[in-house]
Amino acid sequence: MSLTITCPICGKRDGYEFRFGGEDKGPRPDEDGLTPQSWCEYVHLNECVAGRQKEWWVHKDGCGSWFTIHRDSVMNVEVATPEAHK
Amino acid sequence: MFGKYKPLLGEKTQLKSSYDVVIIGGGLHSLATAYFLAKEHGITDVAIIEKNYIGFGGAGRNTAIVRANQRTQYNVPLYKEALDLWPVLTKDLDYNLMFNNCGNLNLMHSEAAMKAARMTIATAQFHGVESHLLDAKEAKELVPALNISEDITFPIHGAMFHPPGGIVRHDAVVWGLAKGASKYGVEIHQQTEATAVNTKNGKIVSVETSRGTINTSKVLISAGGYSASLIYGMLGIKLPISVLTIQAMVTQPLKPLLNHVVSSGAYHCYANQTLKGEIATGAHMDQWPNYTTQTTAHYIKHQAEALSEFLPCLRGLRFMRIWSGLADMTPDMAPILDGNDQIEGFFMNCGWGYFGFKSCTVAGKYMAEFMAKGEAPDMIKPFNLRRYEQHKLMGETAELVTYTPNN
Ligand SMILES: Cc1cc2nc3c(=O)[nH]c(=O)nc-3n(C[C@H](O)[C@H](O)[C@H](O)COP(=O)(O)OP(=O)(O)OC[C@H]3O[C@@H](n4cnc5c(N)ncnc54)[C@H](O)[C@@H]3O)c2cc1C
Ligand SMILES: [Zn+2]
Repeated sequence: MSLTITCPICGKRDGYEFRFGGEDKGPRPDEDGLTPQSWCEYVHLNECVAGRQKEWWVHKDGCGSWFTIHRDSVMNVEVATPEAHK
Repeated sequence: MFGKYKPLLGEKTQLKSSYDVVIIGGGLHSLATAYFLAKEHGITDVAIIEKNYIGFGGAGRNTAIVRANQRTQYNVPLYKEALDLWPVLTKDLDYNLMFNNCGNLNLMHSEAAMKAARMTIATAQFHGVESHLLDAKEAKELVPALNISEDITFPIHGAMFHPPGGIVRHDAVVWGLAKGASKYGVEIHQQTEATAVNTKNGKIVSVETSRGTINTSKVLISAGGYSASLIYGMLGIKLPISVLTIQAMVTQPLKPLLNHVVSSGAYHCYANQTLKGEIATGAHMDQWPNYTTQTTAHYIKHQAEALSEFLPCLRGLRFMRIWSGLADMTPDMAPILDGNDQIEGFFMNCGWGYFGFKSCTVAGKYMAEFMAKGEAPDMIKPFNLRRYEQHKLMGETAELVTYTPNN
């Protein structure tokens, strides 16, 4: 599966140098008012979109940076924008 | 079955405007649920809605391994019942499911793994499932092709041997259950895509399909690796699932040399010899979600390296075919069987990852009971979705290969 990922520091590299870090769910919820449901949502629940999604990656066999990209999960390619061009 | 002039399955190809039950997805779990709804509960006004053809998904792509040596108290009895069902269904369906009861040998490559195996074996024995611990020499007696020398990457310390498991012909299960269900009047609509599920006042009212709207009060989404995306897209319910692709391949056929399913967590590899003589082998998953079902050169290399270490007589063999399918992984390596909770009349059966073949009949049996009676049977109650917010994850982590994006 010839995935390439663009690291903000190292540029475009082989996908196997990276590790997937989950769907982007925004910032970690505040401790105040945290419920089992909202914690579960943050930790476990996914949208599993068949299409474009914003997600985290870490350049584990490279510079170690964490960053987000957009990727199309149906085509398995990194894309520039959240929306497909019409 | 896919002949030009015959309907794909069953006599009726016309979609009615209403059914008692609509099942989205035409894989093993859907077919089994429909079969048991009709056979055990007399609910025969059932439509299975399948976008492609039955067996398109994991149902037709899995490597057909069955076993009941899981780790936790909730999982073992479920899988044990599934194992016991194969001979019964072979008779009831009047279809040769080709259960090759060859047993599973799970290799251990460290003392820590041996200790984990001891606990898993104790659980199995407690539940009346046959499972033994072997040392490396005994494993070699069982499978003479094994390399038990010290000078491989992961030397073999011992193994967990589980004689009641083996291989069942997966296509036969698809066809047998489809035939069985249609005999009772269940309609299987292939080439029909479900596009939306409609609710009113918290209840299911209808399903939209590419061939029109169907009114119904009960919907089951059990669409293998597609379930999580459908359930979120159609009903806004998020699940603790990551959808990865899992790959498998077969070699050229050989004389009989492997009469057990051999697997290794450390090598991320399992292998068995099919009745045709091919070595069927698999386990690799790329660790990021995707729906491509693409295969990779990366993995062919990995598999060749692993096999040539622990089964060195396979060196130089040719791989003939490689394929892949979806695996919907949950964080506790156990499925989600739930219903009548978030929405009245909505049921789901998913999160089966790479272990949804061995369990399909029993999951179908209990989901059918759940849908018929409205109450979750005790056997599947622990598999509800709320266990994640209650921190009651199942810890089924001693699975063959724990391979999720979460670890
Ligand atoms: C390579 C591989 C090896 C495996 N090996 C094993 C093994 O050895 N042992 C084991 O126990 N398990 C194994 N599995 C796992 C097992 O195959 C799956 O868990 C199981 O098949 C999934 O359940 P299913 O058969 O009900 O669904 P699937 O067969 O995946 O069916 C889903 C169906 O839903 C349909 N669908 C999707 N979207 C829609 C829509 N909108 N409308 C209508 N229909 C739709 C699809 O076309 C598909 O036919 C393996 C899986 C793979 C991929
Ligand atoms: Zn980098």
